[in-house]
Amino acid sequence: MSPESTSLSADKTASQQRFLSLFLRSEREIFRYVAALVPNVADAEDIVQQTAIALWEKFDSYDPAQPFTPWACRFALNKTKQWIERRQRWQALLQGGLAEELAQRREELLPDIERRLKHLEGCLNQLPAEQRSMVEGYYYRRDGIEKVAEGSGRTVAAAYKTLQRIRQALQACIENSAKGVAS
Amino acid sequence: MTITFPSREFDEAVAAACHSAASDDQVRALNALLRSDGAARDEYILRLELHSRLASEPGLFSAGDGITSRENAFQLPPPPKVRTHQLKWVLAVAACLALLATGGWIFRLSHLNDRKGATSKAVAMLNRVADAQWTGSESPRLGAPLEPGWLRLKSGLAQIVFYSGARVVVEGPAEVQIVSPSEASCRSGRLTADVPPQARGFRIGTPQMDVTDLGTSFGLDVKERRTELHVFKGSVEFQSATGSARQSLKEGAGAVTEKSRSPTLISADPKAFAALFDLQFKSSAAEVLRHEQWRAASSRLNDDPSLLLHFEFEQTDISEWQLRNASHRKDAPLEGTIVGCQWTDGRWPDKQALEFRSVNDRVRFDVPGEYESLTLAAWVRVQGLDRQINSLFMSDGFEAGTVHWSVRQDGVLALTAIGSEPRDHQICISPPALTLNQFGLWVHLAVVIDGGTKNVVQYVNGAPASEHALNINVPFRVGAAEVGNWNAKGFPKSDPFMIRNFGGAMDEFCLFGRALRAEEIRGLYSTGRPQPESVALEK
Repeated sequence: MSPESTSLSADKTASQQRFLSLFLRSEREIFRYVAALVPNVADAEDIVQQTAIALWEKFDSYDPAQPFTPWACRFALNKTKQWIERRQRWQALLQGGLAEELAQRREELLPDIERRLKHLEGCLNQLPAEQRSMVEGYYYRRDGIEKVAEGSGRTVAAAYKTLQRIRQALQACIENSAKGVAS
Repeated sequence: MTITFPSREFDEAVAAACHSAASDDQVRALNALLRSDGAARDEYILRLELHSRLASEPGLFSAGDGITSRENAFQLPPPPKVRTHQLKWVLAVAACLALLATGGWIFRLSHLNDRKGATSKAVAMLNRVADAQWTGSESPRLGAPLEPGWLRLKSGLAQIVFYSGARVVVEGPAEVQIVSPSEASCRSGRLTADVPPQARGFRIGTPQMDVTDLGTSFGLDVKERRTELHVFKGSVEFQSATGSARQSLKEGAGAVTEKSRSPTLISADPKAFAALFDLQFKSSAAEVLRHEQWRAASSRLNDDPSLLLHFEFEQTDISEWQLRNASHRKDAPLEGTIVGCQWTDGRWPDKQALEFRSVNDRVRFDVPGEYESLTLAAWVRVQGLDRQINSLFMSDGFEAGTVHWSVRQDGVLALTAIGSEPRDHQICISPPALTLNQFGLWVHLAVVIDGGTKNVVQYVNGAPASEHALNINVPFRVGAAEVGNWNAKGFPKSDPFMIRNFGGAMDEFCLFGRALRAEEIRGLYSTGRPQPESVALEK
């Protein structure tokens, strides 16, 4: 191997490491950006996965002086739009420019959302044991709704309903805590 | 159907969207509402954010079981489920990178064999496994140094890092003999070798041919009477066992030797080695991930008000001779001063470490204050124990209330606590803790000097190694002190016991002004360990 190609291959490895490091650091934020448009967790993960590949392919054009996450989110928006084109129901949900509108508005709201969601951990700890265990099963262990339903002795529909109520309770708790801090 | 806001229909439609259970009518009505009603849109965004936050922040769930988040500050390691879940994405990237198959693995152990002082007979290390089943009773431990000998892999994958720098991934069933830091032989099985420039000349023998690598990446498929060689990158020289002339193969080419016939040329087929490439990438991705997890845990640790000093050894400018103290404590010393030393790689390829080699290498600092208890913890890679006393951390001289922490030549950990009266001191000695087999590997060492319970506990890799009653009266002090060396301050330099420079690398050092509990030490170890216990194969 010539000294030139040796140094090139070292560059390539360094660039992979750099990419993985940047991507891993932003991965959750990219996921949430996508989930604001396609909130189904498995689908959003799918889109992030495709985004990752696109990002790596275009990593040469990334300017390290710029923050990585916004750069990555532009790709994520494109990948999301491509993805919903093939899925009628999601397309119907986001049609008429709603995808862009949601993405933009979310960015404006983000500082306020972050301020409120700071209380999420505390609110989770206040949940009754059974509810907390359902949330853990669904969101954290990713057990799947069937298993969560079975574990709590509910039907799938009732488990979805319960999760919806738990989220409502969490949201109320977050709003209260945020107000408490403000006053 | 139309949906108004706020309403039960709105609540239900949003929840249905989250669970992918919305009907056509619901999504159309929701779209119409969100496009026309700003308040509904903001509420929608907040609800989705709560939902996606729950799905993406495993840290939210770590403080359960009645443990306060404060006490839990060190316990970051997410459960395996989360790790594989995150890895799935990384691996998707990895799969894509694999297509671009590159060589040149960053390597950390290559300089080991030219070290003087005692070293073990090991020539390689078992670096990573996936569903590996071994033939015979003894299966090698992950991270274990490997001495020359046969490895028999029944099934699964194993990655071996040779001390020359070559990385070999083996797919079972396979029989591989480790010969030296730069040589192996393979009787059967499939393997890929990744050989960085410094390991050029790495050799693998098979029953049909001898392969010499010229800095590259290649694959071998070895059966009893047939060997296939595939060159993925760079070039390779081979000679068939029939004694034909040496031939050289370039990237994209391959050769097959069957029985005693002369070799035929083929083109390289990376697809046949996909699983092996995958493990290589998994290994790289997982290392980056471990480093990230450690960083997150580290930044939480820095909030601990009792943390006096935290050297993370993550320096942006390595020409800088100030070593940053990462502790967030307001009155903490700002930095240490690096004297001599070399920057090198740490626990992960993109983590830095400081290497101590010469008698002058050291990091100096000054910590004010008096403390009832102290805790010291460090990640070190010992290269050799050349001195009778090899300093990890020592306050200058023999001042009252200070401590000296060191490794003896025989691998014993020693903590000396110095009392206020002349000749009043106590030396707490562990059983030999650092054996030859641990040389070259990252090890976590800690000692807790508890003035409250009058107790000293030494730890190796998160587990207690020895416990002693403390006879020295508090308070303790640090004052002017050094990591990796000792300023004897007036004692004769000619005495061999006075030269105490450490031989090896350090990539994290913590000093606390309190006694950490056993589970906290365990937490420091588990968040910082170079690699997780084992790696599950992605299904």
